[in-house]
This record gives sequence, C-alpha cells and structure tokens, in this order.
Amino acid sequence: MTYADDNRYPPSAPTGWPQPQTESHRLPPRRESYGRAPWPESYGHDAASYDSYGQAPWDEPYAYETHRHSADLTALRSAYRVLRRVSTLTALGSFVVYVVLSCWAPGLMGSKIAGELSLGMAVGVLQLVVTFAAVFWYGRSAQRSVDPLARAVRERAVATGRGAGVAR
Amino acid sequence: MNGFSSGTQSTVIVVFTVLVTLTLLMCVMAGPDRDDLTNFYTGYLSLTPLKNGLAIAGDYISAATVLSTTGIIALAGYDGYVLAVSTALSLVLLMFLLAEPLRNAGRFTMGDVLARNMPGRAVRIAACVVTLSATLPFLVVQLSGAGSLLTFILNIPHVAGARTTCIVIVGSLMIIYAAIGGMRGTALMQMIKIVLLLGTSVVVAALVLRRFDWSPGDVLRAAQHGSGAGPAFLRQGLQLGTSAVDRVDFVSLQITVVLGVACLPHITMRLYSARDVPAVRRSMSWAVGTVTTFCLLVIIMGTGAAALVGSRYITAADPHGRTSVLMLSQVLGGAPTSAGATILYSAVAGMVFITLLSSVAGMTLAAASSLAHDLFAHAVRRGEAEPRTEMTVAAWTSVAVGTVAIGLSTLVENWDVGVLTTLAVCIGASAVAPALTYSLFWRGFTRTGLLAALYGGAACALLLMVFSKAVSGTPSAVFPDADFHLFPMQSTGLVSIPFGYLAGWLGSRLDHRRRAADSREYRRLYEESEARLLAAAE
Repeated sequence: MTYADDNRYPPSAPTGWPQPQTESHRLPPRRESYGRAPWPESYGHDAASYDSYGQAPWDEPYAYETHRHSADLTALRSAYRVLRRVSTLTALGSFVVYVVLSCWAPGLMGSKIAGELSLGMAVGVLQLVVTFAAVFWYGRSAQRSVDPLARAVRERAVATGRGAGVAR
Repeated sequence: MNGFSSGTQSTVIVVFTVLVTLTLLMCVMAGPDRDDLTNFYTGYLSLTPLKNGLAIAGDYISAATVLSTTGIIALAGYDGYVLAVSTALSLVLLMFLLAEPLRNAGRFTMGDVLARNMPGRAVRIAACVVTLSATLPFLVVQLSGAGSLLTFILNIPHVAGARTTCIVIVGSLMIIYAAIGGMRGTALMQMIKIVLLLGTSVVVAALVLRRFDWSPGDVLRAAQHGSGAGPAFLRQGLQLGTSAVDRVDFVSLQITVVLGVACLPHITMRLYSARDVPAVRRSMSWAVGTVTTFCLLVIIMGTGAAALVGSRYITAADPHGRTSVLMLSQVLGGAPTSAGATILYSAVAGMVFITLLSSVAGMTLAAASSLAHDLFAHAVRRGEAEPRTEMTVAAWTSVAVGTVAIGLSTLVENWDVGVLTTLAVCIGASAVAPALTYSLFWRGFTRTGLLAALYGGAACALLLMVFSKAVSGTPSAVFPDADFHLFPMQSTGLVSIPFGYLAGWLGSRLDHRRRAADSREYRRLYEESEARLLAAAE
C-alpha cells in the first residue's frame, strides 16, 4: 500500500501546540522568519514559514529528509502490522478453535488423557500456561522488529525540527 | 451455612476496619496536587512497570470476575474453565493489539484517543456516553452484589435495610477513594488488592490441593461427584445448555468476553499513565502474568468449591454461586471454632471486601474522569477549562456518579442483576472495541463512522439485551415471571459486535461519498499523527 497522492502535504507538527521554536539544521536561509511570530501560534500555521521551499508549501513535494522520514514510517508501520497480525490472529484463532471444538466435538475434548483429566481441560490450562511464553515472545519480537524503527522515526522527527516535544 | 461464632464475625469486622483505614490513609497521602491535571488523571508516570502492571491487573480483576467466575466454575465446570481462559486472553489481546498505540494516542481518557484527529464536541459527548453506559452497569452490579455479599459475610439477618446500609457504606467509601485519591490513590489501592488477592488465592488453592494429596485427578473426581452432574461437569454445556442455539450462545459469550472486557474504559485508562512504549509493554507483561496466574488459581478454587462444598449448598446460598469462595474457605478452615478457620475465613472475606472496594472505586473514577474531561472540559468549555476547575469538577462528578450508582443499586438490590455484567461487556465489545480499532488502525475512519460505531454498537447491545433470554423468559432471568424475549441468547455479542463494526464502516463510507472534503481532512490528520501513534514522535 502506498499513498502517493497524499504525499503532497507538507509534514506539519501537531496543531495547537505552543511554538517551541526548535531549530532545524537545514534552514539557515529562512532564519528571518523567526522574528515574524513572537507570540505562540498554532504550529500548523507556522509550519509554512519553516518550509525550505518557500511559497505554496501545500503543493510542494517532500524534501529529501522528509522522504527518508516517510520511508522510515512506512517500515515501522508494516513492522507493527506484521507483529500485530501474527500475534493477535494466533491468540484469537487458537482460542476460537478451542471453543468451537469444545462445543461441537465434545467427544474429542472429553476424552480422558490422564486419569480424570480430559483433553479439553488440559488444552484450556495449557493455553493459560502458553500465555506466559506468548507474552515473552511478543516482548522480544517487538524489541527486535519495532523498537529500532520507532527510535529512528523519533530521532528523525526531532532532527528535522518538526516538533521538539518528547513524548510527554 | 454460615454457622460461625461471634468471634469470627468480630475478627472479620476488625479486618475490614483495618483495610478501610489503611487504604483511606493511603489515598489521602497519595492524593494528587490540587492543580496538576496530569497528576490527577495519570498520577504516577514515575511508577515502575511492575507497579503499573499490578495496578492494571488490579483494575482488570474485578469483584465480579473473582466471585462469578469461581461460582460458574463450581457450578458448571468446563464452561467456567473456558471463561477463565477467555478472561485471561482478553488482556493478552489488549496487549498485542491496542496497548501501545493507545498509550501513544491517549492522554487521559478514551475521548482523547477518539477525538485526537476528529475535532468537535459530538465525538467527546459520544465517548462520554459510551464510557458511562459501559461502566455504570458494571458499577451497579457490583454495588448491589456488595449488599448481599456483606450481609452474608457478616451473617446479618435478612432484615429490611441491612443490604441497603451495606450498599450505602461501600458506595460512600468508593466515592471517597475516587474523589480524594485520583488515579494515584486508586493505583496504590489496586496494588494492595492484587497482592492480597493473589496471596490469599495461592493459600486457598494450596489447601484445596493438599486436601486431595496434591492429586488433580482426585479433585476432579470429587468435583464431578460434588457437583451432582457427573461426567457432564467436565463437558461443555452445563452453564447455558447443549442445544445448537445454546452452543452458539456459548461461543458468542466467550468471544464477547475476549473482545470486550479489556476494552472497558477503566482498564484502558491505566495505559495512558505508562511512561513510554517499552514501559507500557513491560507493564502489560506483568499484568498479563498476574491475571493468568490468578485465572489458574481460580480454576483450582472453583473446582475445589465444587468438590468440597457441593453444588447443593452453593446454589442454596446464591443461585449463581457467587459465595462459593467464601463457603470454600469455611470448609477448608476445619472446625468452625478453630483459630485456623477464623484466620482463613477472615482473610478470604477481607480479600473479597478489598476487591469489591477497589474495583468500584476504579470504575467510579473512570466514569467521573470521562464526565469531567470529555464532557465538561472539552464539550462544555471547549477545551478551555482551567486545570484547577477541571479537577474540582472531577471530584464532584465522582460524587455524582457514585450517588447515582448507589441509588440505582438500592433500587435493584432485590433483583438478580448479574445480567448487567454481560451488558457492560457487550457494550465494551460492540461499541468501544470497534471505535478504538478503527480509530487507531484505519486512516479512512471518519466522524460519522465513529459516532455510528459508538452509538450504534451500544444501542444494539442494549436493545438486544433487553429482549434477550437473560432478562425474561427463563427461570434464571431478571424477570422470571415475564416473557418478552425475542432474542434467544444470553449475550448479544453475536449480533451486536458485527453490527458495531458494520456501523462504523458504513458511516465512514457515507462520509467518503457525501463529505469527501471532510473525509480527506480526517485522513490527512490521521497521517499527520501517525508518527506519534506508532513511534511516540511528536
């Protein structure tokens, strides 16, 4: 999925944020615009004066940095999506299979596997036990696949000066 | 059944008093600064993931979970085991699917998440309405249960007014906790509660197993015998029946629990107070671990209650078996006058009491926060309320929510309102879950779609519930003598969850077609905030 037609919008920071005036490394020629808005104003408005391309920012393509940024974001989005889908569908799917089998295959789920312990009970308890492993697995894969990308996106967002806000 | 000496009763009362005094003291000491909103709503950004996770687990395991799940296991065996699994799984799904984006998108309440790229008061109002409609039934069911439970624990004879007095006392305490403690105070309380709950449950479960020489097979054999159901105790179907419709009903109930419980606003509210994404992940790991452990213990306790107490006595005390934990502790303690019996019974009674208090306090706080933050600060004052005013309003809305809940609970105290738990979970699954998943993951979601999902899902769940088998037409219904049921199931999830998702989708399609400019604007806002949503980059 690409959203080519949406790339027309300039990257602007969250609106309604009092101007923190973070400096951007790539904007020395437009420094004079800092003097223009001494009072806190909505970020969306000021973003226009930051734009390195000057006029008509809404029709300009992304700058190089921004392009990298959106590539990072795309990577992060798909990494999150894969992680989310795999984990959620596995958890939900196994549970649905378990419940459906309990209802429509009572003979199978009721078969004794050890003493009084039936297969259905054993699978139910097993799911609870496996939960610990699943949570551990999720934490580790998120750390490996998502966290580095998220860090890159965050650092680039700070580097391009679009919002100095650290997450709360 | 409660044949205890007055010595035991006085011990129980002493335990209750100590618990109340300790928690009240803690709430006062941990109360928020008077003009810091962040401190009041999230309170404890400084808390470690372990403590935060314990607080989430504490909020998640409500008194209804502890008492009803044990009761259902004791009475219906296998169906209860499945319920325990689905309860644990719901929190797992919250962790896998929603927790991290929710933490990044939200600030204080569910309204903040939903309204982040859809300006306008209607969204805030809808968020508040759905929050209230999901938390109030839960609150009422637990408060009205508190009446019968406390009269049972303290062995107060069934005189008129005894239950009402208990409800009013518990309700007043709950208001005080919510209004004074804020998120920080209730978090501490949830932590104490979950530690006590786990500790006591471990002891009770160990005593059950020791009684049967640590042999699970013997426990199961005795449970089959004690339940009077024989091998059916270990097969699906005792709770709702075995006909085709009943089985569909059972599956639908379990799916509703999985999707709905963890989405309830008082649980998601705890996520916003995590420091960053790794912290929310670690908190959720602790929470899931705790809840799963507890579910395993509940399975042992419920089976033990069936084996040692027997379903005849359990149903005699309460048709839904909500007193089975207490009765189990009486049986395990040995002779009614021995010190062991007194200690065990007091501990279990104290655990039930603190669980009850903390869960109603948490829900009151969630409802009051939504009223103060979504309705007052953003819908009435359009986001320009002074933090100090908003906090005062939050304290007063706690009082208002609590008073309304107490009033409703005393009204229904003589009815069997367990169905309200199902209603709350159904609203969670069919209104909150679609709104949150769409809002977090679908860039084409629009304002009309959001309102349709919230109002449509909630209304559908409510309407179907009124005409369901749980309200009329069966002996165990709220109105056993009347019969106006049209929907042949106990829970509404099978229809109302797809309805909620469909309403959200159709509403958004409508906006794409009718208000193309608006829906493009929503898409733009979504994409702008995506870096924040996924990476916490502002």
